[in-house]
Amino acid sequence: MTEDDHSPEGMTRRQLLRHTAWFGAAVVLTVAGGEVISRVAGPGEALADDDPNALRFVQVSDSHLGFKGSANTAVEASFSRALGQINALGRRPDFVMHTGDLTHLSTAAQFDQVRQMMSTLDTGYTFTVPGEHDSIDDAGQKYRKIFGAGTAGDGWYSFDVKGVHFIALVNTLNLEKLGHLGPDQLEFVRKDVAKLGSDTPIVVFSHIPLFAMYPAWGWGTDDAAQALSYLRRFSSVTCLNGHVHQLFTKTEGNITFHSATTTAYPLPQPGTRPAPTPVTLPAGKLADALGIREVTYRAGQPGLAVKDVKLA
Amino acid sequence: MTVFLRIATAVCLATSGYLHAQLYAHGYHTIPVIGPAFLVQAAASFAVALLLVLGGPWLLQLAAAGLAAGSLAGFVLSRTTGLFGFSETGFQPAPQALLSVLSEVAVLVFVGVILVRRNRQRRIATAV
Repeated sequence: MTEDDHSPEGMTRRQLLRHTAWFGAAVVLTVAGGEVISRVAGPGEALADDDPNALRFVQVSDSHLGFKGSANTAVEASFSRALGQINALGRRPDFVMHTGDLTHLSTAAQFDQVRQMMSTLDTGYTFTVPGEHDSIDDAGQKYRKIFGAGTAGDGWYSFDVKGVHFIALVNTLNLEKLGHLGPDQLEFVRKDVAKLGSDTPIVVFSHIPLFAMYPAWGWGTDDAAQALSYLRRFSSVTCLNGHVHQLFTKTEGNITFHSATTTAYPLPQPGTRPAPTPVTLPAGKLADALGIREVTYRAGQPGLAVKDVKLA
Repeated sequence: MTVFLRIATAVCLATSGYLHAQLYAHGYHTIPVIGPAFLVQAAASFAVALLLVLGGPWLLQLAAAGLAAGSLAGFVLSRTTGLFGFSETGFQPAPQALLSVLSEVAVLVFVGVILVRRNRQRRIATAV
């Protein structure tokens, strides 16, 4: 047998040792390189969990309290589990944001139930934006009566926590097919960010995606481009939405979009079914499709760290 | 000639790794699954590129081709069906997406040429 590396007769013992050594070197270098790159990308990021100054918040979405169907016969219990999971996190989040469809049918009883359940959260603040299920018959009046304190217009607002600027938008009123912000809210966004430095991290909450995830099902916002144009100058913009009941991530320039999953029931992936109707999963699989989202930010980091966690 | 091809392969692979590392550092590290995948791609590309320059065996050339092909497959999926819930359009982010695709195609071409040349040389050696 020759020393030919590609010998049809197979490898000699020496060749095998050589290949093993090269393979081992590749693995060692890959691990070392990965460590170096991750440190360069986010020095100290691994310490964020222990950093008391780090910003931490949790996003929950689409609890649909009041939903009755085979896709989830106990949405209240699922939402309760999600809240328990938040309270069991190692560190108390600075706030919890519910990105809409708190209720399924906008009844006063459902709003009262979700308010009571969210009051059990161990967090600094709870925030919400409305989904289209929260404004079925009254353009969001019942929603705003309970959750609209301190908001402008039809319920939009902004706030700052630990150096990050948050904007909560309402794109579920005046719906035709796609989400819609409207001129008043667009003007609010323009004025709201005009005073901010370009290095301020921006986080935008909305129920319906601000990107065209699947317009055929209404999964997009028709005038979002105008709102996003006001945010192009910022180095870090993160848009967090609900509505689509599934995880989905997309980047467009400086803006990263993260669709959240639900605590209630899954919807089909875009275009895989005729319509976005609730999906009934095999027994035991539902919890895998439900979850919460933890977001952390540490001053000096290039962006926010988003971690989606299945319902425990 | 083979040395030139090997080094060219290494340079193109390292370029692809650098572009993925750059995107990882500037935002992609926050994207579930995709972020860690970019990190692994970058680290493995640098490692294989270095070992290729040092004269590693044909297995490393196949590894280089595998990394390039895998990266291209990820690129295509992220622009069609979506990949782990991640989706992008066209050659965004610019210019990294286009440069990365060009680097990875070049890796596949160089490795292909190396393999064709090796097979040709083997046939000639067998005939002699």
